[in-house]
Amino acid sequence: MSLAFDDYGRPYIILRDQGQKKRMKGLEAYKSNILAAKAVANTLQSSLGPKGMDKMLVSPDGDVSVTNDGATIVEKMEIQHPTAKLLVELSQSQDAEIGDGTTGVVVLAGKLLEQALTLLDKGIHPLKISDGFDRACDVAIKHLESIAEEIDIQANDHEALIQAACTALGSKVVSKRKRELGKIAVTAVLDVADLKRKDVNLDLIKIQTKTGGSVEDTRLISGILIDKDMSHPQMQKEVKDAKICLLTCPFEPPKPKTKHNINISSAEDYKKLYQQEQQYFVEMVKLVKDSGANIALCQWGFDDEANHLLLQNDLPAVRWVSGTDVELIAMATGARIIPRFQEITPEKLGKAGCIKEVQFGTSNERMLVIENCQCTKAVTILIRGGSQMIVDEAKRSIHDAICVIRNLIKDNRIVYGGGSAELACALQVLQYADEVSSVEQYAVRSFADALEGIPCCLADNCGLNPITSVAQAKSRQLTEKNPRIGIDCMELGTSDMKEQKIYETLSSKKQQIQLATQVVKMILKIDDVIAPDDY
Amino acid sequence: MSQFLQPTILLLREGTDTSQGRAQIVSNINAVQAVADVVKSTLGPRGMDKMIQTGPKVTISNDGATILNLLEVVHPAARVLVDIAKSQDDEVGDGTTSTTLLAAELLKEAKPFIEEGIHPQIVIQGYRKALELALEKLEGFSINISRDSPQEKRDTLLKCAQTALNSKLLANTKQFFSELVVSAVEKLDPNILDRDLIGIKNVTGGSVNDSFLVDGVAFKKTFSYAGFEQQPKRFENPKICLLNLELELKSEKENAEIRIEKPEEYQQIVDAEWALIYEKLDIIVKAGAQIVLSKLPIGDLATQYFADRNIFCAGRVPQEDLLRVQKATGGQVQTTVNGLNPETFGTCGLFEEVQVGAERYNLFKNCPQSRTATIVLRGGAEQFIQEAERSLNDAIMIVRRCFKANKIVAGGGAIELELSRYLRHYARSVTGKTQYIVNSFAKALEVIPRTIAENAGLNSIEIMNKLRQRHAQGGEEGRWYGVDINGASGVCDTHSSFVWEPSLVKRNALCSATEAACAILSIDETVKNPKSDQDTKMKPRGQPGRPPMGMRR
Repeated sequence: MSLAFDDYGRPYIILRDQGQKKRMKGLEAYKSNILAAKAVANTLQSSLGPKGMDKMLVSPDGDVSVTNDGATIVEKMEIQHPTAKLLVELSQSQDAEIGDGTTGVVVLAGKLLEQALTLLDKGIHPLKISDGFDRACDVAIKHLESIAEEIDIQANDHEALIQAACTALGSKVVSKRKRELGKIAVTAVLDVADLKRKDVNLDLIKIQTKTGGSVEDTRLISGILIDKDMSHPQMQKEVKDAKICLLTCPFEPPKPKTKHNINISSAEDYKKLYQQEQQYFVEMVKLVKDSGANIALCQWGFDDEANHLLLQNDLPAVRWVSGTDVELIAMATGARIIPRFQEITPEKLGKAGCIKEVQFGTSNERMLVIENCQCTKAVTILIRGGSQMIVDEAKRSIHDAICVIRNLIKDNRIVYGGGSAELACALQVLQYADEVSSVEQYAVRSFADALEGIPCCLADNCGLNPITSVAQAKSRQLTEKNPRIGIDCMELGTSDMKEQKIYETLSSKKQQIQLATQVVKMILKIDDVIAPDDY
Repeated sequence: MSQFLQPTILLLREGTDTSQGRAQIVSNINAVQAVADVVKSTLGPRGMDKMIQTGPKVTISNDGATILNLLEVVHPAARVLVDIAKSQDDEVGDGTTSTTLLAAELLKEAKPFIEEGIHPQIVIQGYRKALELALEKLEGFSINISRDSPQEKRDTLLKCAQTALNSKLLANTKQFFSELVVSAVEKLDPNILDRDLIGIKNVTGGSVNDSFLVDGVAFKKTFSYAGFEQQPKRFENPKICLLNLELELKSEKENAEIRIEKPEEYQQIVDAEWALIYEKLDIIVKAGAQIVLSKLPIGDLATQYFADRNIFCAGRVPQEDLLRVQKATGGQVQTTVNGLNPETFGTCGLFEEVQVGAERYNLFKNCPQSRTATIVLRGGAEQFIQEAERSLNDAIMIVRRCFKANKIVAGGGAIELELSRYLRHYARSVTGKTQYIVNSFAKALEVIPRTIAENAGLNSIEIMNKLRQRHAQGGEEGRWYGVDINGASGVCDTHSSFVWEPSLVKRNALCSATEAACAILSIDETVKNPKSDQDTKMKPRGQPGRPPMGMRR
């Protein structure tokens, strides 16, 4: 901002570092904000849909990631512009709440802003635009609810859930294996779901990745996988009918927490001390053994002495198990976490069908698999893949799929994908637009245009002619009164998304439209930007 | 030549910035204008937001006080404006933008008088007189709302909350949020109405309509240790034990010295330490607590101990949340477990841990003697929620004010116009310069409706004429005509369309705006000391056109 001068020609400074601040007002501010946000949306546009492309992102440390997930892309782009950052958060909040549809929400917001820009050029007050958008949004949501269909998630071996997972996985790099991965995701969620309360605690699904093998080798372990091995190479590699002793104290002589020194004045004392230490180890191992445990998992380390003794006593043990793993194992095996050796009792042991050490490929890395746990409440999905990038992307994709399934368990209403839901809403909004008598009419109509942008984008990404295919789908929706007509992205010969089995959750679609409208309204309400001037 | 000049007399430290006289007053007025201009477009239901970037943090706000605060105003006179906005915020919580605008407008009206050579003190006197009259009239105009039935009272509160929310991002959902705010305030102890007891928690994600009110307390799941997941997560009518105590295996005293002679005694020390912590835990369990909350950490040992006994625990609960739990459940915070009395336990109808967005929240619902409430706000972006929180804060403050004072006036610029009409009328009966000044005060008041109309994209001149005419014809019917942003005519009776504000807000706004204007008018010299040496060397402050101190003028 330049200096202000008073009536006598003297400059005065009002704000701190006034010369280094930049201020944009009015139309200039709207336009700059909208353009910045649109730039972000345009980046994501090509990632939308089953034939969407991936982005390669290189972090400042040189880490490369390849992804198709909207939230991940915008997060790793490290966007500086304050308005563009709003879109990043938009995508992330969709991720946090729903977990899927993160690209769609940003693209929709971009389309809305694009429409707003033309309206601004017509001289319509920005708040009138946002009022119109708001009303249109309500209409769209209502219509969405009316065309939503309830599905039976139990029927036909959870077929509907698998299809929904497949839809989510369809756009990802792992789409070749979507059926298998979809099944894995469904089984995993159903294993931990509390169907009565319609609640799924996603913390109970652990996703572990391991490079090597191929995506087909991905499997579900109805139990837990921990990245640890037996503390001694000669211990048993497999324990059947395991009784697990879960310890949070080290195999060491106990230490008081108070700071302490030991002064030894004579050789006898030293020997005594040594013997006592030995005694501790023997006792510890005995306590564990006596309780009937045949494997010990410990959160802390062991003394070499203890390790040796454990081996001699034929008691396999694992050390340095992380706190979260301890908790998961406790949940799965019904074990109680034991804080000191004196408290070991047979009731506190957890039970699992099998614990074994597995080795992957030719590498020396080993992992422990705990299977057939007593009360399986925790599951692990082990993802394999050719390279770190693929494995990471597969992990993100499976996370999306899991979220979709969770949402369906919470609310079993679906709408059909392939842009059909957006088209149906657009038609409804367009019809409503004519009923609005004030300036907002234009905004409502533009909202419909923005909604059409999504199927347009889908068609474009699939190499179809966007205008003709959207026009066709639209006219068929109207003439056949069928809100399920969308874009035939996979070229399966039918545009009815019910036949193509492209399911999306109602909650995700609703959230997308609501969130996008909310953020666009917020951006339209800013008429003044004061920021440090970087240039 | 130099001997003809008087020797320069250095009175102040070099670099000291002084300016004085009438020019100083005018310069100050200009600075105030510049600041007020920034917030001007945020006024009214069609007011816009400002986006301010300070460092990496971006704030989007419509709240006058917040904007002024973030602008980092350094001009000494302009700072007065920031201060009154802040004081209005602290005192009544709303109306910060209108206060700022009014003060700036009063100064703007005073500028021609100063330039023409009227002594500032006369202007000040005139303004004070006008203020006095305006306040008197305000009192007379305000309407007492009958609130015999609770329903009527609630209606009034709802309307005031809606008026406060009108100009904010939440305007489209004001029905919903005004209900939320009023319900929250009704929960409080009507005698004290402690604002701190209404918690607002922000969770990103979801739509604003997913926000909800907990008639009790809600707080985010605290950091937990292994074993936490094995604890039960739902209780009905639990006994809640509140502690300010660390439940962890640790050294009891930092510098204790214990001498032991024999190795056998070593085990005893270890056992003693365990005994200490077990004793504490045992007391809590024996007393029958089902939920244990502590401000200080609850360690892994305690977590697992409680998990084994079906007790829920949470450590590191933030101070204000613990306070609210205390108020809601009727429990008392204990600093020791010795002599723990079950009577100090609180209770609530239902305790539950639920997933809200990506976070897990602990909810204490249906509290028996609930004197507290928590609003969980949802929304798309961080900035959105923050602005929503500020807006709700304004609404809460207004409702609080309304709760006690039952006098309201109509908003939308109606009251300002009515006062303006009255003052103009009065001015004609005064002789002397005061006439002009009271007139200016009246004119300044019109800034509020004018700005509201301008911001809404209406033709402000036309609207102002209509309004003045309505008020002049007035009497009882014309009194409450204000700006209507929705209708075609642009004016309406804002009282009957329920744009209500507590008269207290207006009163405070008028007072502080006039005070600020008078304060700025009475300053005729500023002495600004240079910054400390280091600072000036680092950043030489170039102020072109400023003659050095002590030069002959």
